Amino acid sequence: MAKRVLIVDDAIFMRNMIKDIFSGSGFEVAGEAANGLEAVEKYKELRPDLTTMDIVMPFKSGIEATREIIKHDARAVIVMCSALGQESLVMEAIEAGASDFIVKPFKSEDVLSVVKKVLGDA
Amino acid sequence: MALDLSKYLSLFVAEAGEHLAAFAKDVVRLERAAAEGGDRKATVDALFRHAHSVKGMAASMSLDGISALAHRTEDLADVFRGDPARADAAAVDLLLAAGDALAAMVQAAAGGASPAADDGLAARLAAATRAYREEGRPAAREAEPHRPPPAAPGEPPAAPPSENGARRRVHRVRVEVEIAGSCPVPAVRGFLVVKKLSSLGSIAQVQPSVDDLRAGRIPGKKLAATIETAEPLQAVERALAQISDIAGVAVSELEEERAPVPAPGPAREAAPEASRTVRVRTEILDGFLDSVGELILATARIREIGRALPSGARPALEEGVDRLHAIVKDLHDKVMTVRMTPLAIVTERLPRAARDVARKVGKQVEVEVQGAEIELDRAILDELADPLLHVLRNAVDHGIEPPHLRLLAGKHATGRIRVLARRDRDRVIVEIADDGKGMDPARLRAAAVERGVLSAEAAAALSDKDALLLACAPGVSTAEVVTDVSGRGVGLDAVKRTVEAVGGTLELESAPAQGSRVIFRLPLTVAVQPVLLVRVGEEVLGLPIAKVHGAAQVHMSRLDRSRGEPVLPYDGALVPVHELDRLLGFPGAPRDERAVVVAEGGEGGRIGLAVDALLGQQEAVLKPLGAPLESLSGLSAVTVLGNGRPVFILDVLRLLAA
Repeated sequence: MAKRVLIVDDAIFMRNMIKDIFSGSGFEVAGEAANGLEAVEKYKELRPDLTTMDIVMPFKSGIEATREIIKHDARAVIVMCSALGQESLVMEAIEAGASDFIVKPFKSEDVLSVVKKVLGDA
Repeated sequence: MALDLSKYLSLFVAEAGEHLAAFAKDVVRLERAAAEGGDRKATVDALFRHAHSVKGMAASMSLDGISALAHRTEDLADVFRGDPARADAAAVDLLLAAGDALAAMVQAAAGGASPAADDGLAARLAAATRAYREEGRPAAREAEPHRPPPAAPGEPPAAPPSENGARRRVHRVRVEVEIAGSCPVPAVRGFLVVKKLSSLGSIAQVQPSVDDLRAGRIPGKKLAATIETAEPLQAVERALAQISDIAGVAVSELEEERAPVPAPGPAREAAPEASRTVRVRTEILDGFLDSVGELILATARIREIGRALPSGARPALEEGVDRLHAIVKDLHDKVMTVRMTPLAIVTERLPRAARDVARKVGKQVEVEVQGAEIELDRAILDELADPLLHVLRNAVDHGIEPPHLRLLAGKHATGRIRVLARRDRDRVIVEIADDGKGMDPARLRAAAVERGVLSAEAAAALSDKDALLLACAPGVSTAEVVTDVSGRGVGLDAVKRTVEAVGGTLELESAPAQGSRVIFRLPLTVAVQPVLLVRVGEEVLGLPIAKVHGAAQVHMSRLDRSRGEPVLPYDGALVPVHELDRLLGFPGAPRDERAVVVAEGGEGGRIGLAVDALLGQQEAVLKPLGAPLESLSGLSAVTVLGNGRPVFILDVLRLLAA
């Protein structure tokens, strides 16, 4: 069965790009969220196998959202989408329970390699 | 295989110390909960856990004396887990005594000793445990022999495993990881590896340290760690295989089974937490700050040199210096963040201290602490510990009345002391307020005159608020009885000096019969302080802005005089004006047109310092004076200006005594 992904990013452009990477590679994009608040709600609703999470977003940061999701489901697999220069934020997200991270700008094979590894499919 | 225990000693001392500090706090909390109702069960559980942890750690360190006494303590705490209501004052005293003894033993262990348990205390604990147990049990159980305490829910048992024999052995595993060269953020990768390892067990050692990783340092993109885990090697390898950007992994068994340590159970939260933090000696942090301070000064110096360059060459240099300044500033902020420590480390012991004093002097008091989570520079906290304790003891000893007098005054028999901390912009305000009898300005005036601190006229001229500050003058005390707790009139002056030395101020407020309030206003950090630069003749001097109230331009000849000395009307009062050059013994003819800086001065009053010019405000990195300058009264520190010129910072308070 295809693994279900929740994509969280405040930029539609980024969401579409990540969506394309996943849908072309045997994943099912279960849903999208444009901010941290929405991310937590969608997570509870959809129970995805994997969540990609932007860090800086309105209403609730990706770190906060990660913390809440992990509190809700300690086994949640969350991969942070970060940019160079956000090292300390990524570490904060890892402390909050994120499983891994990818650094923008990213190539589709990098993204897939990271998520397959965290899902234990590699 | 023999384990070199010595390398774990400092960690043991630190952690056991933390447990014992929390233990003492919880005992006091237990007593308070008994008086006013509260969740005693949770407190007793916590007491049990602390004793239990110390026992386990000490046993692992082969510190049998500590382990044995912790075991007795754990037994006694365990008795009350079933019925916390039975923990009476005698039990509380005994638990406190045990906690103190354990703390002292841990300290002794820090020095390399293996202290033996105090047999008398151990026997008292055992007897009390038996007595409380029998008292609470049906007669049929009385003969039950001493049995090990049952394990707390969710906690590994102290004694050998009982979980259906399912517990796996804990072994030490060496993990070496090389991050892929293509990884743009190897330190973050390394951090993720550490985090992953900490979910498998506890991390005994990791290189580079977590702090280094946080700072982006991972030399050679290599990370090596030793973990203690119950997981097999394959599970460790599997976990690491889930992490991307890793070029190579080597996992190996380090040694045979260890002495029993609590195995990470399914609900392990403490282990990852512990491995995410690294203990650093405060001197190292001081060293960092010192170096960063030098960097700030060196940057300012380069900027100054750049000003002398031809204008064509300047922009490039200035751009570079701006960038350097930004980096250094960022580094400074980071160093400061690392140094920030919650106030709790000094307020934690206050309830216990208050209780001890109260018992000694036959009073009842409860202490409430709010805002303990507020963070301050470690250096300030270290300085603050004794002053806070002193003020608190004073409040119990002198402020709070004995119960019968409180009842007569229509108050609750138990006095209340509130320790309240809050942030106010770039300051932290800590108040210690009691609801005791308050201070009497008239008696303070009389005591000060009697001790020759000031003349009767001067005393009479003081406002009530200023008169309260006389309590800070050396030798002034209105305590009727000098106890061994306080009342010798040494102390509050020392408190005030200490607070001022770190750039803070001390205020007193008091209302007769209603209580007193001591207010500490503290800077967040000591090292960089704003100073006002002034020029006197050829010299430039600095005054801490915290001490400066204002400034005025004056003609010395036109100032009013009081007893021959010039005075400046300021803020509704007359401030005596001293010429700074004369105070410091600088040569030169007196000048008429001068600037007067009004600053906080001796005896709780203000003084005016006449100078030639005000040069402006500047953030200065203050460095302590070395010998022989430190013995000069009136100077507190030195800083270096951008032009390389050293500037002395004045200690206004002691300037007049110089």
